Amino acid sequence: MTVALSQAGDVVISGVGAVSPCGWGATVLWKHLQAGTSKIREPHSFDTSRQRTRLCAEVPRAAPEVSERHVDWRRLSLADRYATAAGREACDQAGLELSGSQAGVFFSSSTAGLREGETYFARSLGYEKAPACLGLVRSHPLNSPGDAVARALGVQGPVESYSSACASGALAIRSAAQHLRAGEVEVAVAGGSDSLCLLTYSGFNSLRAVDASACRPFRADRAGLSIGEGAGVLLLETLEHCRRRGGRPLGLLLGSGGSCDAHHMTAPDENGDGAALAIRSALEDAGVDATAVTFISAHGTGTALNDVSEWKALLQVFGELAGQIPVCATKTLIGHFLGSAGAIEAVATMLCLRAGLVHPVPFDGEVDAHSPVRLVQGRPLPIDRGAIGLSTSFAFGGANAALLMTGWDEDRVA
Amino acid sequence: MNDPAVVTGMGIVGPFGCGRAPLGRALRESAPRFRRVDRAVHFHRPGSAEKAALVSDFSVSDWIHPLRARRMSNSSRFAVAAARMAIEEAGLAVVEEIDGATGVVISTCYGPTDYSERMLRQIFEEGPQAASPALFTESVANAPAARVALELQAHGPNITVTQKEAGPLIALQRGAREITAGSVQRVLVGAVEEIPPLLHAVLDRFGALCRCRPDEGTEAARPFDRRRNGLIAGEGATVLLLERESDARARGATIRSRVRPLGGAFDPTAPPTGWGRDAAPLAAALDRHLQRAGLQPGDIDRIVSGGSGARLGDRLEALVLNAVWQGRELPPVLAPKAVTGEYGGGILAPAQLAIEGEPFGPTLGFREVDPELNLVPHDGRDLQSPAKVLLTGLAAGGAAHWIALESPEQ
Repeated sequence: MTVALSQAGDVVISGVGAVSPCGWGATVLWKHLQAGTSKIREPHSFDTSRQRTRLCAEVPRAAPEVSERHVDWRRLSLADRYATAAGREACDQAGLELSGSQAGVFFSSSTAGLREGETYFARSLGYEKAPACLGLVRSHPLNSPGDAVARALGVQGPVESYSSACASGALAIRSAAQHLRAGEVEVAVAGGSDSLCLLTYSGFNSLRAVDASACRPFRADRAGLSIGEGAGVLLLETLEHCRRRGGRPLGLLLGSGGSCDAHHMTAPDENGDGAALAIRSALEDAGVDATAVTFISAHGTGTALNDVSEWKALLQVFGELAGQIPVCATKTLIGHFLGSAGAIEAVATMLCLRAGLVHPVPFDGEVDAHSPVRLVQGRPLPIDRGAIGLSTSFAFGGANAALLMTGWDEDRVA
Repeated sequence: MNDPAVVTGMGIVGPFGCGRAPLGRALRESAPRFRRVDRAVHFHRPGSAEKAALVSDFSVSDWIHPLRARRMSNSSRFAVAAARMAIEEAGLAVVEEIDGATGVVISTCYGPTDYSERMLRQIFEEGPQAASPALFTESVANAPAARVALELQAHGPNITVTQKEAGPLIALQRGAREITAGSVQRVLVGAVEEIPPLLHAVLDRFGALCRCRPDEGTEAARPFDRRRNGLIAGEGATVLLLERESDARARGATIRSRVRPLGGAFDPTAPPTGWGRDAAPLAAALDRHLQRAGLQPGDIDRIVSGGSGARLGDRLEALVLNAVWQGRELPPVLAPKAVTGEYGGGILAPAQLAIEGEPFGPTLGFREVDPELNLVPHDGRDLQSPAKVLLTGLAAGGAAHWIALESPEQ
């Protein structure tokens, strides 16, 4: 398919950054995604010993070459560390120096520094015997990861933070695209960051939404999600800006959409109406027909209700093609990043498009007859040049978002 | 702007009760309603700040069925009630007219912190497996926006902005953009905050809250005053109903203001919990945003500032405004947060009242000019109805945002 830039709104992706349970960086993330190996396991530094379930997908400790690049590393919360490292990586890849620039930062988080805040709370109330120093709550506000990115990169343009649960990351990217299209910024650092914390781990367990084993989205025997942590960042810019500076795009952000189920605080609309509305809105925004979508990076949490609801949304939008479009379920491998899930999955989608491969999940049981997606299993699935990837995010509280991306191909751009 | 976003309805829940009339009276009379924060749970340290602008005279059952309200945090209750008021004022019927074409954009600094606190207590005292799913559901920052959508069946994009003091203005701009981009017909835009004792105590420990001055014997915010020593935390919600001007006119709605988006900036030298010291980059950004919108500083005839009594926040705001106006006299600068408190929509509702020509009393707590700031906020004199009001929001941490409201007669 030839991408018409006048329709696409010429928002290009020129860098990606990732901090994930696979390690620090997008390269190591892609290595694991391509291999289809799960990083969901018993954690080292996050205590799940008193929880109903034990597993999660934890980010390994940063190597010194990562931490030494950042001023005040020791004072940053985990979520801020993930955010700044991923932000820097995306800028490095794009070859952009943002210090003093009018670039914008559009960022998301559902936990920010809550993990450190929990320690403050425990110490303040005497549950833990140690001083409750204020540094523990400095990063508690939800704007902290986005601010930390802007501070680390020296950005002077608009900084906006979003927290719409699991749709936050995709909504932040959507906001960045809108700013770029409106000409308010020429460059945008867009993404999200979350860290593991007691409140969310216990909370999802209290809802009986966590699988005691590693999550298995779309499988017949799935029993819930697996919580993960980390950050994903896209470096977005207008095509004009990218060309002017001699940059080389990785891909195009073709369109985005948002909606709300307005159905239930925790359960998705069983017919998938809200999710379908978000996908249709993204297709319309991109000026792309549903038949042009090559693969889907599904929200795929692994809970009984979510996966069926998502399948019904895909059926509504893609009709009989729904069962033929390859689907990758990234959470199977790295867990659910919650407030940054949409961001890391946008990164994963871009990595798939760059490599010309849809990443697989392990062969792990039958695909559910009630959500019979064409799950890519065992080995990566090659895709054509000019492929279009759809990344979906459906949140707690009913917020939905969808992003459409394609890889950059100079020859095929109209 | 071919078909801009306009405000056709406003709902308010705050320290003065519900709706525009009690808030308007409080602003006109410069009469705050602060109450002592519950200190029985021993979060506060001796000598710490005691008061906040807490919601009162709010009967939740007037707006939400008790069976549903009992599952909601205070933040959600405030937001849903304010949203219903906004729809009512706009002359729209819930369910029949609020539908898939309606988005929700709500700003909050800290989210439903009372529920988070209660859930953490359960976890620490009884173990993680005692955590309540009902508390968890309402502890997330987007719970108020989700509840608004659920109650009003708003199926458009549902967005929660979390950019501290700049958040309400970002939410307003974001809502206006959703409308002008054509993705929705209407957006409920607002800000909400609750101030439970733990949050109040933590804000105090950071030195954010005003303390009792020995010479006055009371806590007061004192925006832009030389003696200012912190803000008053305030809770509540403001929700505005935005729609396309052509739609509003077609259905014969009363247009209360027109939204003129400006833009934002960031000061990377600001510490995570405070404000930076160099006003020049932010002033350049505001100047640029005004020019891009086709406005000159002289076009602005009222400023609704974020002035809250924060020592460095007010300083930065004053220096930015003075730099943009370059020695020319500033238009009257209102500082309503001295009355409403910080957070909880403390800027959106007063700004809407200002553009509608509501009178404002003298700036509460202002007595002595700070020579460094060289800014005298509104002294209570009679003013003509403004044509254009500038809203400014400079957040702790470095973010800033500006937006303008325009009189519909323009």
